[in-house]
Amino acid sequence: MIGNIFLFTALLASIYTIVLYYLDFKGYQNSKKLARIGYHIMTISVLFASLYLLFIIITHQYQFKYVYSYSDNTLPLGLLISSFFAGQEGSILLWILFAVIIGLFLMEYTSKRADLESRVMMVFVFTIFFLLILINPLFDNPFTYIWASEKFVNLKFVNQDYLNLPFLQKFIFQDDSNSTFFVKVTADLVALLEKDGIRINDFIINGVGMNALLQNFWMQIHPPFLFIGFAMSAVPFSFAISALMKNDYQTWVQDSLPWLLGVALVMGAAIMLGGYWAYGVLGWGGWWGWDPVENSSLVPWIIAVAGIHTMLVQKRSIEKEGTSGRFVKTNLILSILTYVLILYSTFLTRSGVLSDASVHSFVAPGKIIFIILLAFLSFFFLLGLISIAIRWKYLEVNFIYEENIWSRELALFTATVTLLGSAAIIIFGTSLPIFGNTVDISFYNKMTLPLAIIMAFLNAISFVLKWNKTPFKQILQDLKNPTIFSMVFTIAIVLLGSVYDGLYILLILFSLMALYVNSIKAIQIIRKRFSAMGVYFAHIGISIFILGVIGNGGYSKQNQIQLPKGEKVEVFGHNLTFIGFEVFDKEKYRFNVEIEKNGNIKNLSPVMFIVEMDNSMMREPDMEANISYDFYISPISYDDGRNKANAEILELTKGETKQFDNLQIRFDSFKFSEGFMEAMQSGEKMTIIAKIIVAENGKENEFEISQIIEKANRQSIPQQITENHIAQIVGLNAMGQIQLQINKSDSQITVPKQILTVEASLKPFVSLIWIGVTIMSIGFIFSIMYRIKEFNKKSLN
Amino acid sequence: MKNKYIFGGIIIVLFFAIMGYLFTETNIKYENDFQKVIKSAKIVKVTGSWNKSKKYVIDTKNNEFSFFMNDDSGNELKVVYKGTIPNNFDHATSVVVTGKFHNGVFKAKDILTKCPSKYQDTQTTKNS
Repeated sequence: MIGNIFLFTALLASIYTIVLYYLDFKGYQNSKKLARIGYHIMTISVLFASLYLLFIIITHQYQFKYVYSYSDNTLPLGLLISSFFAGQEGSILLWILFAVIIGLFLMEYTSKRADLESRVMMVFVFTIFFLLILINPLFDNPFTYIWASEKFVNLKFVNQDYLNLPFLQKFIFQDDSNSTFFVKVTADLVALLEKDGIRINDFIINGVGMNALLQNFWMQIHPPFLFIGFAMSAVPFSFAISALMKNDYQTWVQDSLPWLLGVALVMGAAIMLGGYWAYGVLGWGGWWGWDPVENSSLVPWIIAVAGIHTMLVQKRSIEKEGTSGRFVKTNLILSILTYVLILYSTFLTRSGVLSDASVHSFVAPGKIIFIILLAFLSFFFLLGLISIAIRWKYLEVNFIYEENIWSRELALFTATVTLLGSAAIIIFGTSLPIFGNTVDISFYNKMTLPLAIIMAFLNAISFVLKWNKTPFKQILQDLKNPTIFSMVFTIAIVLLGSVYDGLYILLILFSLMALYVNSIKAIQIIRKRFSAMGVYFAHIGISIFILGVIGNGGYSKQNQIQLPKGEKVEVFGHNLTFIGFEVFDKEKYRFNVEIEKNGNIKNLSPVMFIVEMDNSMMREPDMEANISYDFYISPISYDDGRNKANAEILELTKGETKQFDNLQIRFDSFKFSEGFMEAMQSGEKMTIIAKIIVAENGKENEFEISQIIEKANRQSIPQQITENHIAQIVGLNAMGQIQLQINKSDSQITVPKQILTVEASLKPFVSLIWIGVTIMSIGFIFSIMYRIKEFNKKSLN
Repeated sequence: MKNKYIFGGIIIVLFFAIMGYLFTETNIKYENDFQKVIKSAKIVKVTGSWNKSKKYVIDTKNNEFSFFMNDDSGNELKVVYKGTIPNNFDHATSVVVTGKFHNGVFKAKDILTKCPSKYQDTQTTKNS
């Protein structure tokens, strides 16, 4: 209730703020002050809603559907806080929270710049208003009660003291496929409970918990970064729309540029944090898989980066030529597109349209959200498109001179086209599942390679080219040293690394050239204008990054190998010995593998465990990271050697007899211990005993075979039934059937071998990917500071 | 402005040409009719249900995993996947496999399992 009041207040305040900023834009007096008050009310409401969500999560109030669905009692504090954004509704609230905070800075920033505030803030608040609609009290939001719609709650999450309430029985259901019990929680049940004086949060005492994939350190960092990027991307959009509103394109580029740089910085960092998470912890093998979710956040980033390049051209031509500058239309479109593509990304990943295509699991959120997202998306897209169409005739500018072939302007333009080309390709491939199609991953790899070559080439040549025009002789002269440098190193790499693919060689050559050109430039100005280093840093970073991608993407080797315990197995020049496993955190298994290379010994410990929540297997890799390569092992399976040899499975219904070798095996009955039913319902430890009768040559023997069940773990106790047969229960169901696994021990019994199967891979130069991205991010930070300083200097004069 | 348009134009045309070509090369269609799957020489994404009445087989020696799938009209397809059994496979009902039909079996290089339950949210797991 309280949460909903905050959210609703925020929604009303956002409408009020939009209206008053509009009045201010139209010239009504005193409305700006009121608009600001409205904005602050909205901010405070969102802040309180967020704090309240945090409060109900930390105090485990499972009467809220969101808290029940995404958290539980066992999560450590950091992850418990992260469950704020583990689900759809909470992550939208987080997005809004970041948006309103960014808006405070934006208000401060625009209030200092002529009449910008009312226009920019109006558009910006509009984007927040739409997000607030998505979690308004009429739809599912983080404060929806669990009984708002029928919800099946696993019996193990229910307080055991209340299980014998008479009216409860008709709310209990059993899922036959995995014999679990559920309580159907509805408003009726809540009313009945309340009549008995039982509060619902005393009744449901634990939650489903967080998806195991999310339960690690990076969950606390990657999503918030991404949402800061999402929230920030509305700022350049607002600047573009407000420029169109006033039909004035003189200043918006320099105002917008630091923000667009910020978007590129934060989104880029967020994407790569996700990449590191996938690579280092989740064991998805690589840092990038062209998964729809990854792609759809990469595309807005590419558009933002493209926009930065053409904005620089516009900014410069405003200063030098005094018009509204070159590439006005391009810049407006790119600024609008960055935000619209963020929305498209949200639509793709949250509407459930890609659920067949992605590893990221989505829950289809229902039709209303689907439609609203689509409306949201089309609205902002059309808003941008129509505004530009209306202003088109003012945007047509004739220039005195055209871009020379050897000018930096044209190089930057070509870079933008190439970036946009790659964005178009990625979004095309990612959107295909909507139309019942898809492409193989090789589509992206093959497609981006030639684009990367062009980009690397432009990265090298852009800084040799001057604005307007460069004498051809000078270009040749300036390119002499970089060419020699990159040739020598490329030849060395080709020979040492046996790189024989022509396209890769070209990409290495240009990347090295770019690295050299940018480094020389950076060294030249490091003394004079340290603050202007950002651009060179960013380009050095991307060159190093590309070299890392070539090494890792083109020359990784992997091999699936079996490691019998204690035996040395050689793979890629490393000797691996599986030593044994240890149990930690109760039910996680750490497999210790000794890695020996040239006499150096290291230990790697990949981890496997069964996730209780959905019975899935988690596999965490481990690696030895070096500058020149990562040696990476991810666990595949572990065989304790006991069951598999000569095993056969018999399925028996109660009373049924089946023949096995010379044996007649009859399943007589189950035997239940006392308190069995209670134990079964509560998920406590219980023992199931099956009585079977084995007849061999007319002689009958009776056996009791048992299986111990505790939560999701089942442990079968093998039972010797004849001299050479061992039986154990491997499965049972509520229909009264059991599955018996019968092992035949032959005369030559071998000692069972414990075998760990792993995928070992050697990935060259992964480190360059992380180093490159870090340098690039530093470059972005420098550039943002440089642009802000530049403005301050100008406004002082 | 001429240079700008020539440069941009050439790049765009070139890329759309390469994209068109690569798309036809790498395009994978979703298919739920097994008779079409058997005839197709290309890689397809096959959707269907796991036939639970026939047991799946885990071949640890060759590191293979195989099972039978049915489409809506009851056609059967044997699927062989190079690798270990996907997580959660025992609970799966609906399966999406990517691969090619070859020598009487469907060789999958990628399996996506879905475990729908009327009591819980659908869970999706992917192996490749």
